[in-house]
Amino acid sequence: MSFQDWLENDSKIILFDGGMGTEIFKRGLTPGKLPDLINIESPEIIIDIHKAYYTAGADMCQTNTFGASLLNLKNYKVDSKIQEINKKALLNIKEACPPNKLIIGDLGPSGAFKPPVGKVTYEEWRSSYREQVKSLESGVDGWHIETISDIDEMLAAVEAIKQISKKPIIGSMTYKNTKRGYYTIMGHSLERCVKALEDAKVTVIGANCTLGSQQMVDLAKELAKFTELPFSVKPNAGKPRLDDKQVVHYDQPIADFVKDIKEMISWGAKIVGGCCGTSPETIAEIRKLLTIFKR
Amino acid sequence: MKIAVSLEEFFDEIADSIVDLNEAKAVELAKRAINEKFDLLKVLENGFGEGIRRIGILWENGDLFLPELMLGGNIMQECMNLLLPHLRSDNKGYSPGTVVIATIEGDIHSIGKTIVATMLSANGYEVYDLGADVSAEKIIEVALEKKADVIGISALLTTTMVGQKKVIELLKEKGIREKFKVILGGAPVNETWIKQCEADGYAENAINSIKLVKKLLSK
Repeated sequence: MSFQDWLENDSKIILFDGGMGTEIFKRGLTPGKLPDLINIESPEIIIDIHKAYYTAGADMCQTNTFGASLLNLKNYKVDSKIQEINKKALLNIKEACPPNKLIIGDLGPSGAFKPPVGKVTYEEWRSSYREQVKSLESGVDGWHIETISDIDEMLAAVEAIKQISKKPIIGSMTYKNTKRGYYTIMGHSLERCVKALEDAKVTVIGANCTLGSQQMVDLAKELAKFTELPFSVKPNAGKPRLDDKQVVHYDQPIADFVKDIKEMISWGAKIVGGCCGTSPETIAEIRKLLTIFKR
Repeated sequence: MKIAVSLEEFFDEIADSIVDLNEAKAVELAKRAINEKFDLLKVLENGFGEGIRRIGILWENGDLFLPELMLGGNIMQECMNLLLPHLRSDNKGYSPGTVVIATIEGDIHSIGKTIVATMLSANGYEVYDLGADVSAEKIIEVALEKKADVIGISALLTTTMVGQKKVIELLKEKGIREKFKVILGGAPVNETWIKQCEADGYAENAINSIKLVKKLLSK
């Protein structure tokens, strides 16, 4: 079974995994640390999280490499470890992945902005992602570029992948809801991003993070209007709340999240999963839904 | 080129040039104000200041985004650099205040802090942006050296925000807490945290941070 087979099977809804960062913190690691380093320092934690998601019923999970692009690692002064982190992330997820399930290579934002906000160039973005893709290509079944606010950064990542890999790409931007519709913080509208992603020939168009599940339902409706391509949604579990001890909580009941996911599927979502605050329990509940619910 | 006939129209033209992000026009108007010996304080407050305020409103309403906000701030800063030497030489003492700002030790997230620094500069404050991952000791050292009125400390992470409290505790230890207004910023910062730290305030976004600094320094 391959990603492409699933995409071509109309009745198949692909179940992605849920949040990684929030699961890492639950296991007692401090949020100050770059989660990608945990691949090397405490691999058993990462393997455990991947296993929990696969066992919960996820069809595919993504490598713990959200922050492991060259530019982002440079921010943390650990760019010399780029190969080690990405290779180890691959070994970790391979250990957890059962047969007939897939491994997706995860690329997150570089943390660098182009002018006038920052100084990075398209070329620097591209080569930064290229280094990461080189380390992951041998073991992944497809790619997820996610939580991107600048469409040019997304296009640089897509180009970096296409130079090395022929595998399918899910391109997920992160949007906020404004009075005029869904825009990234850089001012790129949903429509503009969809068009650019189509032109760049990604396999699946996605949206993740920032929005809770309720708002993502609304965005899914919009996405269905703008594209014929399959689309992917990974919303947050509502809005985060900080308690007196400065610990982050996501209070949204799982049932509410799952109800929203059901609605996103009815609007045409092909791939569903979760972002910040979602857990293996969330994914298990979506799996239950998928066994009884057909679009 | 449209020639402004009244002072109000001239101020409007300046404000428009900022809102339109027309750098050449803004610089040209700043130079004209200097050459024609306008009251530069008024030019700054009613012209450029008004422009950046309008940009702030557009940003809050979701009509403008991060690049426009930063570009507006940068153009404003360029014009300020032209005007300030003349203002200071006129002995009008135009300096609403000095701010030392940094993202705290252990935290590399600098974008929010940079936006606040840009907007404060654009509003005429003398701003020393120390960057990200800066120790409490270093922040205090620079604040003393620059005779800052305000110290701004940013933290994105719930673990690094303890560093914000450390700065205030260190100021108390040194017996210099009263010398500075200390403001905090970053996604996890809220009213409860401000009380716990005994800080002077926080703002949820860059525009509100300008209002906050203004309010604190007018006390």
